[in-house]
Amino acid sequence: MSMLRKLNGPQTMGNSRAFWAGFVAMLAIALLYPAVSDPYDVGNVAYLLIFTLTALGLSLMWGYTGMFSFGQTAFFGVAGYSYGVISINLAASGAMTLLCLLGAIAVAALFALLLGYFLIYGRVSGVFFGIVTFATTLALAAFFGQTAGPEWAIGQARFNGFNGMIGMPPLELPWSGDVIVLEGNALYYFVLGLLLVIYLGLRVLVNSRFGNVLVAIREDPLRTELLGYDVRKYQLVAFVIGSSLAALSGGLYTAWGQFIPPASMGLPAAAMPIIWVAFSGRQDLTATMVGTFLLLLMFQTITVYSQQYALILMGFLLLLTVLLVPSGFVYGIARSLSLIGRRDKPGPEPVLRAGAEGPSS
Amino acid sequence: MFAEAFSIAFQFADVFAFLILAAAGLAIIFGMMGIINMAHGEFITCGIYVTVIAVQHGVPLPLAQALGAVSAGLVGIALERTIIRHLYHRPLDSILATWGISLMVTQGMLIVLGSSWQGIGTPLGSFKVGDYTFSAYRLVLFGAAVGVLAGLYLIFMRTGYGVMARATMQNAAMAKALGVRTERMYAISFGLGAALAGLCGALYAPTMTLIPTMGITFIIESFVTVVVGGANVLLGTAPAGILLAIVRTALNAWYGQIAGQIGLLITVIIVIRILPEGVSGWLSRRER
Amino acid sequence: MTAILQTRALGKHFGGLSAVSDVNLEVAAGEIHCLIGPNGAGKSTLFKLVAGTYAPSDGEVLFRGENVTRRKTYERVERGMSVKLQVPSVFRELPVAQNLEVALQRKSSGRALEREKQRLLEFLQLQDDADRPAGILSHGQQQWLEIGMAVALEPALLLLDEPTAGMSPFETERTGEMIKRLNAEGMTMLVVEHDMTFVRQIAQRITVLHLGRVFAQGGIDAIIADPRVEEIYLGKGHGH
Repeated sequence: MSMLRKLNGPQTMGNSRAFWAGFVAMLAIALLYPAVSDPYDVGNVAYLLIFTLTALGLSLMWGYTGMFSFGQTAFFGVAGYSYGVISINLAASGAMTLLCLLGAIAVAALFALLLGYFLIYGRVSGVFFGIVTFATTLALAAFFGQTAGPEWAIGQARFNGFNGMIGMPPLELPWSGDVIVLEGNALYYFVLGLLLVIYLGLRVLVNSRFGNVLVAIREDPLRTELLGYDVRKYQLVAFVIGSSLAALSGGLYTAWGQFIPPASMGLPAAAMPIIWVAFSGRQDLTATMVGTFLLLLMFQTITVYSQQYALILMGFLLLLTVLLVPSGFVYGIARSLSLIGRRDKPGPEPVLRAGAEGPSS
Repeated sequence: MFAEAFSIAFQFADVFAFLILAAAGLAIIFGMMGIINMAHGEFITCGIYVTVIAVQHGVPLPLAQALGAVSAGLVGIALERTIIRHLYHRPLDSILATWGISLMVTQGMLIVLGSSWQGIGTPLGSFKVGDYTFSAYRLVLFGAAVGVLAGLYLIFMRTGYGVMARATMQNAAMAKALGVRTERMYAISFGLGAALAGLCGALYAPTMTLIPTMGITFIIESFVTVVVGGANVLLGTAPAGILLAIVRTALNAWYGQIAGQIGLLITVIIVIRILPEGVSGWLSRRER
Repeated sequence: MTAILQTRALGKHFGGLSAVSDVNLEVAAGEIHCLIGPNGAGKSTLFKLVAGTYAPSDGEVLFRGENVTRRKTYERVERGMSVKLQVPSVFRELPVAQNLEVALQRKSSGRALEREKQRLLEFLQLQDDADRPAGILSHGQQQWLEIGMAVALEPALLLLDEPTAGMSPFETERTGEMIKRLNAEGMTMLVVEHDMTFVRQIAQRITVLHLGRVFAQGGIDAIIADPRVEEIYLGKGHGH
């Protein structure tokens, strides 16, 4: 019960009854959506929802804790390839595929722990944190890009270089003596359920004592340490959680398309999570989730005509966000319309928020 | 024996040149303003394309390369005046802004220029030492890298701009109080950084196949060199280049290109674990 | 009286420059101990050595009988120190009440935390500002809020670095009253201060630093009566 009380709090927008009524209504629409649409479209929406997990992870790290990870795609890709390697070698099916997904996330989380340890305990912060995580994802993309030869394989799983790894099984869920292959509607409900649990879980997390410390670190790491908190430990935990959400995205994506290419870690892919989250409003989970979904939907619609134009638009939106609404469009609109009640009185618009970190020293 | 030694030295010089030329422009902008120019690769691309187009119109290569550097510099100044200058008090946002611009430019060029172009071929031919063949142009690149470092040293130590720039790097508010027009310093520095990126592209233009996304070839190397070098271009970039070139040459020789790249990254992560402010931060602390 | 904090031959030099050397300081349980001295005497450096934001070059720091010389700041805080730095640092975008929560949640939770929070807000006279972002408080109020956060940890020793810096005379006086009230409730404090009026208001014992060394140490009356102390404050001192 006390856990549920933490769903609302100062770290999240939308704490009013009206918000939750709207939330339930949206959820109901989401649940009914497959009934009024064809499985192809439903599968597509599932695909969009998969990416919002990456965005939520970035919001936790960047918006709440103040760490600029430009490398979400690294963990996305590592988990994707790991899912391939594990599931192909085990010739997994049924519930085993879900264990493979967990294993893939564990590999990526371990990688995040290692990278995060070196960066955070090396007191790398600000801009440098962004650069190193960014260089990491680009280097991984370059690495997997040149694994075309047959010698590049782990057991039965070939990396296939630029073309990417293929042939991994889709996720399968045991269900009353039978197995359901997670694609189309089934995948949609599976991803929707995951997203719901993770969104609510993150709300509880950021409004808990732990979340209090995270935002305190974002505001002033030294002050937080003076209150007796081991700041670096909290940062590392937040980094691993945020990166693991990208890993979950990557694993689901790979199982969804039975395919993972190195391009998923390179440019322009690496810029996307930053754009989604910056545009939406990094300091709020709800804004991030809603904004990311809308952007992805728009991007996918335009990509059908021209991927280049879609990407130009994304770049333009990022520039526009920075120049006009640094706190993010969805967040800004939600606050200025006061559509969603906030427990605390609104303060001045945090125009300087993004710059408060200062140049890296 | 001599041939082997020469071959190793040659490869080292080649990698060193690449790191220095790729990083110099980025390092100046970072050192001066504390921002990372995510559109760095696009300035390099600009230098490449201007050079190639000029050569294809009959301009001699060295002149075309100068043209490439200058035009990238002008684009840089234009960008600084229109967008970047509004964001100096928000370094992270300036990074995001340059990232947005980078994305728009790359994709825009894909639309306008198509996916690949005819290159212009590497000039100067090759020479032989023992049984090994070497490209003479690679020596020019090494000379250019050393020249860029020497040029930067002269600019920062011997010119009025350099004195004021170093003052601004040390303490922008103080420099401003002493009458340095910091805004102009920033514009010039951004232009200089962009021009050096353009020069990098111009110099490597004859060695590459042309695609609009080729700026990315330089990105990892330039970023890691700047991170290892730290905020001071004069103090940090050259030692960082030497350190990383040694690592990379060794790994390239034993395990191939990609191991070299990953090795660079691991070196960086270890270096910042030990020296959070990079080589220049460490050196200047030792002086104190 | 037992010493809650002791430094033994504590020293810090930056390169060739010696900021603090051979300082033996003793803070007894229950007292308000002021650290005074002219500009550049090494007060702030000594303060940071005690708080753990600087590592000493020589000597050691003992806190509640334990050698904490190699302990990080947060570890010293865990052991009962609490620190307020000179420049007010509050969590500017978080509401005032949440600023206190971040500190209070180390010791309590639930209803007890709420009660403590109300009590502190009242003590700091910030009840009306509880839901406003801390960044829009006045400078003096931010100083108080930070003192409140430090107090919320229920420390055995409260370290205050120039708590009245930038305050109006009225605010300074109120701060003095706060400090005395906390002391009356049993809190031990080490206060770095240069404002002698304020020191007279609160101090019980005083250590005078000059050129990085302990120049004089004693009760408030003895120190004020000491002509040498006056000398160094008026700039006539020539060290040793």
